[in-house]
Amino acid sequence: MLRQLRKSLVWYLFLAPTFIVYTVFVAYPTVQTFRLSVFQEVATKQQFVGALQYWRLLTNEIFYTTLFNTLGLGIAFLVLVVPMSLILATLLNQLRFLPNLFKTIYFLPQITSTVAIALIFSYVFNPSWGLVNGTLHAIGISATPLWLAEPRVSLTGSRAMATIMAVWSALGYEMLIFLAGLQAVPIELHDAALVDGASPLQEWWHVTVPSLRPTIIFILLTGTIDAMSRFSDLWTLGGPNGSPARSLQTIVMYMYQTAFEGSDFNLASAIAVVMFVIVLVLTLVNFRLFLRRDFANAD
Amino acid sequence: MQLETGQQAPPAGVARSTVQERPLADRRQVERWRQIIILVILTIGAITMIVPFEWMLATSLSRSANSAMPRIPTLWPADPSFFNYKISITSLPIATYYLNSLIVTSSATLGLLLFSSMAGYAFAKGRFPGKSALFVLLLTTLMIPFEMRMVPMYLEIRDMHLDDNLLALILPFVAGGFGTFLMRQYISSIPDDLIDAARMDGASEFTIYWAIILPLCGPVLAALTVISALWRWNDVLWPLLVINNNKLYTVTLGLAVEGRSQGTLTGIVLANTALAILPIVVLYVFLQRFIVRGIMMSGLKG
Repeated sequence: MLRQLRKSLVWYLFLAPTFIVYTVFVAYPTVQTFRLSVFQEVATKQQFVGALQYWRLLTNEIFYTTLFNTLGLGIAFLVLVVPMSLILATLLNQLRFLPNLFKTIYFLPQITSTVAIALIFSYVFNPSWGLVNGTLHAIGISATPLWLAEPRVSLTGSRAMATIMAVWSALGYEMLIFLAGLQAVPIELHDAALVDGASPLQEWWHVTVPSLRPTIIFILLTGTIDAMSRFSDLWTLGGPNGSPARSLQTIVMYMYQTAFEGSDFNLASAIAVVMFVIVLVLTLVNFRLFLRRDFANAD
Repeated sequence: MQLETGQQAPPAGVARSTVQERPLADRRQVERWRQIIILVILTIGAITMIVPFEWMLATSLSRSANSAMPRIPTLWPADPSFFNYKISITSLPIATYYLNSLIVTSSATLGLLLFSSMAGYAFAKGRFPGKSALFVLLLTTLMIPFEMRMVPMYLEIRDMHLDDNLLALILPFVAGGFGTFLMRQYISSIPDDLIDAARMDGASEFTIYWAIILPLCGPVLAALTVISALWRWNDVLWPLLVINNNKLYTVTLGLAVEGRSQGTLTGIVLANTALAILPIVVLYVFLQRFIVRGIMMSGLKG
């Protein structure tokens, strides 16, 4: 037993740096988040209060607004980006003329950082002279939408603009992921369907797309987690308050505000726990919806 | 599987595709049209990707952008001048920001490459008690978004007196579940005989790791480099939390703070933005094949 442990020592050494970082920066903070969320600060001392912070959240209208924003923006983003990038990837996969040039151009926004894009787009969507409204002016439309200045839910409001911005910047990345998945589809599958008389469109929908299921799951999963943790681009646009009128405030922005402007680390931790639970639930939903069917088919 | 004209018709049992029955010349025409349509669609998309950047450049090169923007946008500066850039360079400590970003990004990435590959090797090829339990434990990192633990992390850093210190931007990211997972998946596919032979020759595990495993990991190390570099360079939230000294700002944080405080000076803010992204874009153009391949590979392994 001791000898086995001695032989294993070298492996533990290999793992040591990773697990030290894990313990200090993942395990401990996660436990602390849960712990902080059931306490309250009274005269600089922490006092156990059970579910008090959660109760405060339950009756907190701002929290519900941010929840609505976060989920809504996430769904809008995914609904738009998945089909668009899938179609683009399919097209790119069949292009014989300079495909690499297109890959480079489409991925360019990802390289330039969300902050840069947020700043650029805040001007692109400026209601008076921005690129978008300006172009509308050029073709004669003078009743141009307010975009960022419009806090209400609308197809041309601040949330719509935030979604367009997110889709624009992520399109290249998602397209590349789909492209990788497409190029991994065995060509015999594709050819067999064509021989059997399927039109190219039928083949695409019934053969290629289903074989992309793992890729779609990956994109939905990472997209969900990214949507739940959205901060930097919206913060650049409207500050931690998510102006105008909190229309752009996400859960993380509210968490940031509560902890660092309100100094209420306990309430912020409760928000973090709720966020974590939502992410967990959405992840499990993703898995059950898609993976289970895979296993059923494999039998 | 394409029938040439003049060949015999396929046996009755095989369904016939209408595509295969057209004469060769027609098929080539159809194919050419398809390529043209695909090219047009993709080009429209590509133009949408580029136009905002071009407009940014044009506006930043226009002095009047700070006071009056034309009602109808132009893709050429309305009032050409380097004025905005002169102001940018003198008022924004962009060189310091670049230095900070470089230090943070390269240290964290190098560390990540080293420690993830070590851990990946251990999980892929090592035998020791608790291996699967530890691996599952590590994978939980992927389930726990950074934002969920950021408040206690901030408190920790503050208690360790590492706030306002670039180390706070490096240490939490110098090892982790994602990197280890990626490395483990890749190293698992390295044939065992290679490693066993080295072991029989008496090589230590570390020698095997350094001399055999690492050199074979080129592609995955490249992918991990790209991902880590992008993440660290573009991170805003964490630096915002732990860095208050504006001499230690990273490029993205500095840009965000400046941009938010000077919002109406369109020309200057866009000039700042251009300075912040141009070097990266240039680097990207040179490394793009490498970067694109890395991204695509990460998607497959994921």
